Amino acid sequence: MNKIIIQLLLIFISPVIGGLIYGIERKVKARMQRRIGPPILQPFYDFLKLADKRAMIVHSTHAFFGIMHFVSLWFALAVLILGGDLILVIFLHLLSTSLLILGGFSTRSIFSHLGANRSAISALAYEPILIIIAVSIYMVTGSFDVSSILNYPTPLLYKMPLAFIALLLILPVKLKKSPFDISEAHQEVVGGAEIEYSGIFYEAIYTAKWLDYVFCYALIYLFAANNIVLSFVLITGSFLYINALDNSTARVNYKQMLRFAFGVAFPIAIINLLMTIL
Amino acid sequence: MQTLVLCLFILPFLISAIIYLVSNLLVKILTIGTVIVLSFISVYLFAGIKGSISIIVPDYFNQLVTITDILLVLYFGYVAISRKSILIGIMTILQFGTLLYLITKIPSTEGTQFHVDKLSLFMFLLINIISGIIAAFSLKYIDEEDCSNFRKKFFLSTIMWFIGVMNMIVAADNIEYFFLFFELTTLASFLLIEFRKDEISVKNAITALWMNQIGGLAILGAILVSVFTKGYSSITFSQLISSAGTVGVLLPFALLAIAALIKGAQMPFSKWLLGAMVAPTPVSALLHSSTMVKIAPYLILRISPAIKGTPVATVIICLTAFVFLVAAIGALSQDNFKRILAHSTISLLGLMILMAAIGTEAAIIASLILIMFHGISKCMLFLNAGILEKVFHVKSTSDMENLGETGPFSAFVVAIGFMSLLLPPFGAFIGKWISIETIGNMMNSQKIIYAFVIVFIATGGAILSLLYFKVLGLLIARTGAKENIKFENTHPLYSGNIIILIFLILLGVISFPLLMEYYFAPVASATSHLMLNLKFIGTSIIIGNSKLPLIPIFIAFIMLPVTLILALFIKFKKVDRVKEYMCGEKIEYRFSSFYFSVDKANPYYVLIGTCFFIALLVVGGIY
Repeated sequence: MNKIIIQLLLIFISPVIGGLIYGIERKVKARMQRRIGPPILQPFYDFLKLADKRAMIVHSTHAFFGIMHFVSLWFALAVLILGGDLILVIFLHLLSTSLLILGGFSTRSIFSHLGANRSAISALAYEPILIIIAVSIYMVTGSFDVSSILNYPTPLLYKMPLAFIALLLILPVKLKKSPFDISEAHQEVVGGAEIEYSGIFYEAIYTAKWLDYVFCYALIYLFAANNIVLSFVLITGSFLYINALDNSTARVNYKQMLRFAFGVAFPIAIINLLMTIL
Repeated sequence: MQTLVLCLFILPFLISAIIYLVSNLLVKILTIGTVIVLSFISVYLFAGIKGSISIIVPDYFNQLVTITDILLVLYFGYVAISRKSILIGIMTILQFGTLLYLITKIPSTEGTQFHVDKLSLFMFLLINIISGIIAAFSLKYIDEEDCSNFRKKFFLSTIMWFIGVMNMIVAADNIEYFFLFFELTTLASFLLIEFRKDEISVKNAITALWMNQIGGLAILGAILVSVFTKGYSSITFSQLISSAGTVGVLLPFALLAIAALIKGAQMPFSKWLLGAMVAPTPVSALLHSSTMVKIAPYLILRISPAIKGTPVATVIICLTAFVFLVAAIGALSQDNFKRILAHSTISLLGLMILMAAIGTEAAIIASLILIMFHGISKCMLFLNAGILEKVFHVKSTSDMENLGETGPFSAFVVAIGFMSLLLPPFGAFIGKWISIETIGNMMNSQKIIYAFVIVFIATGGAILSLLYFKVLGLLIARTGAKENIKFENTHPLYSGNIIILIFLILLGVISFPLLMEYYFAPVASATSHLMLNLKFIGTSIIIGNSKLPLIPIFIAFIMLPVTLILALFIKFKKVDRVKEYMCGEKIEYRFSSFYFSVDKANPYYVLIGTCFFIALLVVGGIY
């Protein structure tokens, strides 16, 4: 019973956790650039400020897709935290991404369309690898259920290090970090699919990004199940890695991204899958 | 019961003859009446027949079948001469020779020639309801076609007897009968594809004919081999399957599988189905959803108890996994809406056949789910493509960029259809998901092969979803000025049929757990000859070793359709509207999407597909 309450609480406060991660991230990134950076609570200040702005939308369909993007992402995260089926979680996550893509497509805005196209390509780049990792996890633990994966005696990292590397390689795509931030690239497509959202309606997109942080780090946590020290090391390590990468690389174009995903990350995931079988 | 089954066989033929005799109005009433009767009969039969029934036909029927066989092959010979097609000629000569030789050799089987079991009943439902909807739809569609009144009646009449042949093929137990019906479906598709009689139609019809004739030849080969194999005393499906374990000769099954794979347009035989696009749209709908190509998964399901776990099944699995991925990539490169649908049919057919070839309980359930939901969704999408063509005059997705404003209902239908083909809340997704789980469970024996099968399926699935969203994205774009959506009105025969199909999809979604227990599970357990272990534990369905949690799926069930519907109608009041951001520029622009050309790879696909087919023969011959 206790466990359920903790899980529900975790689901409930996950946007807050995501916001904190984002705040810390901005701080860390700034420090890497020798800036002082905003206060850690800055995302929440932004959140409040956005809520206060005059609401403007292009049309209701578009605004509604943005809200549903947030809701469905939260739902996917809830299934993950409650220990649901990993494949289902991955597909629900794909669904939520798709709703944002649809939202981007639903207006007659050039940048929004470009961004939605690019988001779709990003999804194509990381989705197969996520599924292969899920299958590898199944091969090792014998279950797709997150709850039983977490109860597996040895941390998955030792069993399938390559899968972890593959996950690290595609995380920047998923989190829209440089060098793979083509889908929202501000200098090119001015935020992509998000551009037409503003005020209270942008809030949904904004917090959905926080949820995405929680989702990604929860995936990393899977690799260190049952081992608090290791999970701390992994999450901190990948956090620093992603931010250092974001700070130090230039954006690539979508072809290069696809080539990287299918030429480097994909084979690594496959080799990992073969290793778990043999 | 037996009379009702015979009704399903004979009534369509009867009506197809009457259509020529009566006036146009009467044709409409008659057709709609017939399809309603056929649908009710198939539902009643599914509910009424508990086990299975055998239908005994009089002996002269055997002679009749043989004579029709010969006449049919002779007709193909006539086609070969009149169309000057060498390939059809070769196939016809081969078929004719084999057929004449077989007639002297086939041991006469008496009595039971039709065997209606759960699988047949399942197919009856699909065939009669979905094809019935298409028949009703084509009443209006063909009215707008530019051709003589006789040709219009010819079209409707062909569709009707096509339905009759389909009803018989899924009930046939004798393989000689099966061959006849197989060839008759080939004939029907040939006539329908060349309906418009222009150069490209005729060319594609010829391709369809000779490719499917190879399938017919493979069936004849299967009969030949089983006649000369000790142990296979009579050439019926039930007898072959029950003695396959003891006899151990798999070649007949490999040949039947080849026939199925050709019918299912798997590489390298995908060309005929893609070429069939030139026919009027109801034909595409018919070929893609409920008839023709569905023979492929049906036949593999039928022989799955015999080939399960054998190298033959392994080769089929590898081939179809390959096709699933490759056809999905092919779909991504298309602009023509119907061609996109065609590629995705080939791709999903691959998945159905794959599941059927695996042959475990969960896999068979997955295959059945896919067959059913794919039938409904594809039918709806193709009929909708027909409406787009006739009413809005658009054929390619790049022309559809205004559809969200001019034809929101049609755009909405495409959305529902695409969602139901792949995404989490709908049936086809569940089929796909069981697939991944089942293959996960299969791993112990041939792990490496199955690992790659999973990779292919996962990648193919991701590509298909990207495809659907790409197309959908182009359909729903609107400017802020068009805030209010008003669904367009189309002819009642158009919109009515589409609404019935949407209703069927939603019904399938809502009643999924019930369907699982009372619809899919009994069929699967009868088909696999296994005791099906389907339980509800808490909020999960357990099939064999796979667990299917229901609550998250249910919430997702509600979330996606509701989102799509609400998104169209929701209004945020008291919120200011703005124009789209455009950097302050005022420029002309058109929306487009990414296309990846894969034409260069086609020869390799054909080569790899051919290798798989040869491997299938070799493997079947060795074991």
